[in-house]
Amino acid sequence: MKYRLLGILALGLLGSLGMAQKTLVFGSNGEPVSLESGNITDGISIYAQRQIYDTLVDFKPGSTDPQAGLAISWFASSDGKTWTFRLRQGVKFHDGTDFDASAVVFNVNRWWDPKDPSRISGGANYEIWGELFGGYKGDKGSFLAGVSAVDKYTVRFTFNSPVPYFPVAIGSGYFGIASPAAIKAAGAKYGTAAGGAVGTGPFKVKEWRPGDRLILEKNTNYWKKGLPKSDGVVFRFIKDPAARLAELKAGSIDFTTDIPPSNLKDLQSDRNLRAVFRPSFNVGYLALNPSYKPLSDVRVRQAIAMAINKKEIVRAFWGDLGVTNGHFLPSSFKTYYSPKVTDYEYNPAKAKQMLAEAGYPNGFDLEFWYMPVSRPYFPTPKEIAEAMGADLSAIGIRVKFQTKDWATYLNDRRNPPGFQAYMLGWTGDYGDPSNFFDPHFASPISDLFDSAGNKLDIKELNEVLAKAAASSNQAERVKLYQQADEITFNLALRIPIVHSQPLIAQRTSISGWVPSPLGSESFEDIVKR
Amino acid sequence: MWAYTGRRLLGIIPVLFGISLLVFLFLHLIPGDPAVVMLGERASPERIAELRQKLGLERPLWEQYLLFVGNLLRGDLGTSIFNQLTINEQLARRWPATFELAIAATLFAVAIGIPFGILAAVRKNSLADNLATSFSLLGVSLPVFWLGLLLVYLFAVNLQWLPAGGRLSIETDALFKPITGFYVLDGLFQPRSLWDVVRHLILPAVTLGTIPLAILTRITRGAMLEVLSQDYVRTARAKGLSERVVIWRHALKNALLPVVTIIGLQFGTLLGGAILTETIFSWPGIGSWIYEGILNRDYPVVQGGVIFVALVFVLVNLVVDLSYALLDPRIQYR
Repeated sequence: MKYRLLGILALGLLGSLGMAQKTLVFGSNGEPVSLESGNITDGISIYAQRQIYDTLVDFKPGSTDPQAGLAISWFASSDGKTWTFRLRQGVKFHDGTDFDASAVVFNVNRWWDPKDPSRISGGANYEIWGELFGGYKGDKGSFLAGVSAVDKYTVRFTFNSPVPYFPVAIGSGYFGIASPAAIKAAGAKYGTAAGGAVGTGPFKVKEWRPGDRLILEKNTNYWKKGLPKSDGVVFRFIKDPAARLAELKAGSIDFTTDIPPSNLKDLQSDRNLRAVFRPSFNVGYLALNPSYKPLSDVRVRQAIAMAINKKEIVRAFWGDLGVTNGHFLPSSFKTYYSPKVTDYEYNPAKAKQMLAEAGYPNGFDLEFWYMPVSRPYFPTPKEIAEAMGADLSAIGIRVKFQTKDWATYLNDRRNPPGFQAYMLGWTGDYGDPSNFFDPHFASPISDLFDSAGNKLDIKELNEVLAKAAASSNQAERVKLYQQADEITFNLALRIPIVHSQPLIAQRTSISGWVPSPLGSESFEDIVKR
Repeated sequence: MWAYTGRRLLGIIPVLFGISLLVFLFLHLIPGDPAVVMLGERASPERIAELRQKLGLERPLWEQYLLFVGNLLRGDLGTSIFNQLTINEQLARRWPATFELAIAATLFAVAIGIPFGILAAVRKNSLADNLATSFSLLGVSLPVFWLGLLLVYLFAVNLQWLPAGGRLSIETDALFKPITGFYVLDGLFQPRSLWDVVRHLILPAVTLGTIPLAILTRITRGAMLEVLSQDYVRTARAKGLSERVVIWRHALKNALLPVVTIIGLQFGTLLGGAILTETIFSWPGIGSWIYEGILNRDYPVVQGGVIFVALVFVLVNLVVDLSYALLDPRIQYR
């Protein structure tokens, strides 16, 4: 009886739903905060936005190399202070309005200008603009001086100083171009479940059910001919990784991200599933705070770098999913690696000797902070911390483990004198080394302090980074960042432990998924069998 | 009884105030604030300060509390800091999901727990009794999270009999029209979807209902044993009434009194305790909502959610008390 009923139901469903079968179901590791572009910093929101919006500059699948997006070409003035973008013609937003230069100017002003009338109060803070571009209109540090439409399909940005990486930065998933008409109509509700979101991207917002799912349908007018290949995407919000994996195995979701590395074998042994490696674009590091006595001595910091058996730790906790080296930059930036930097060899005897030379033959006490949450760069922070702690105790450093809840952890490391030693990491926003170096080493470093308790300021490194950030000569930038690579390596203030490849997975019934190192990619090419 | 009910209803007001104060204080005592969580590991201290200002977190605590209570009195629970949706709107969306789950779990617990308890009491020290007692011991000691995942792996992943999470399959979702938010009820009008709705409800309901099931079994057994040793039962037996009549007509009605209390209390607990179950089964209810609210330090969400659960808890208790009078005419409320 039960099976007959099931059969009838199944037949009925198949009959009426021939189309709906080609809808992709994505297991999202949480719910987007907002679908309003420029107003989010979390990866979950970016992933959803990536399907709805296009950016001026796009990236070649699976890489950080730029390619044409909503802009077909761009060039800088000879002094590097102006960037001009030529826009694609004939593109329409989901609401039927035209995409043109005035739409770009509208979006940029909204992100950049605190007094712009289209800015809304509420929770919107357009944080990321200020972070990536030195501040907002009227701020002293703001890189941008102005944006204007030269003609209907040309936009010009002028800067206070050269910003060579501007095209890749404005191409990051934060800055999807939204329909001005839709923003004006929705007002403060734009980007919420109630207000919707309108871009030019491959999928349109159909419904956002808070706490449950986001339903996107095909944009039949997409400017890329023949795309997207599926009828729609449903983002199901499944916070717990074990639940996400179970749903993937049961077939109720087609693909998902953020799977603990420990599940790799499990994925590989299921013939309906395929483990997928996202190219590495992050760094997990151990920060050593020189405001504390023993750590103020560079020999002590280098001894710590030497005492930790990084290779063994990475093998044990990441397996094939991580690499370790002495570089702060992930391997997508190999060009910027200095040939002079080879990682500290694992040598506890020598490390012990260095400690003795620095005046600590019997070691010292060290407060070691580990993260309370798992991140792609540190999937199991506590266990990894314990492994590092064991190595440190072998050279006489007595480790005391500490942690706090995540929000407090992030906050307190910046309150002078900060944590003694702590774990943290970084995932890149766009394909430029400045995005890794500047937040961690540009002056003054906000979470490491000098012996007087002031924010740490390293003059030489500062100059190198400032010069590199402003240079539009690629050969010169390579040289400068290689120099920064050497300086940061020798300082051993942040010891890079791992560059990990986040583990993601799909059912074999879908194809065409090419994960981007940048953390999210369009689903336009994915098909479901 | 009406006067009593009125008095009890009035009594809810100070209770809710107390709870609002406690939740508010506890939340603000936890270190870390929404600004830091929202901006994440990349934010600069200046931006955090700016956002704190914007969110009104720089104001003195008493001022923030007065503002919150003032809005509460006008029936406005505020707006989520994270997604800018009003708490009222989100509660309205989510409570039916949690209620439906809690009702299903309670039904599961009652349907199995009470007969098991009676059976165990009537056949004291038999194999059935031993089984019921040990199962109920097992039931209360199983960690909910573990049980949930175990059921998912067994019935969803390996046997593929039941879905692993959510309230509807993607195919049904495209057709289904929620009316009341209680999907089983809505499914009655959309018979094609009903089976899908019920299938999605089974595993979470069993997971959530296992602890109350175990408790109910024990309580029913205990209550039944006590009643069976009473004089009037002995009298009934002496009068030559059949065992069936003695148990079902005379004993059970009296034994049910404590059982009803437990069912009521358990139901209240289920509403708040659905956090783990809702998380495992990605069930879009109040439990998973409060949980995320705590992680995000989304103060309005947690305050609104807890006050709502507290209100329901108090109301359920009132209903339980009133139902006594129906079950036992000797009990009167003045």
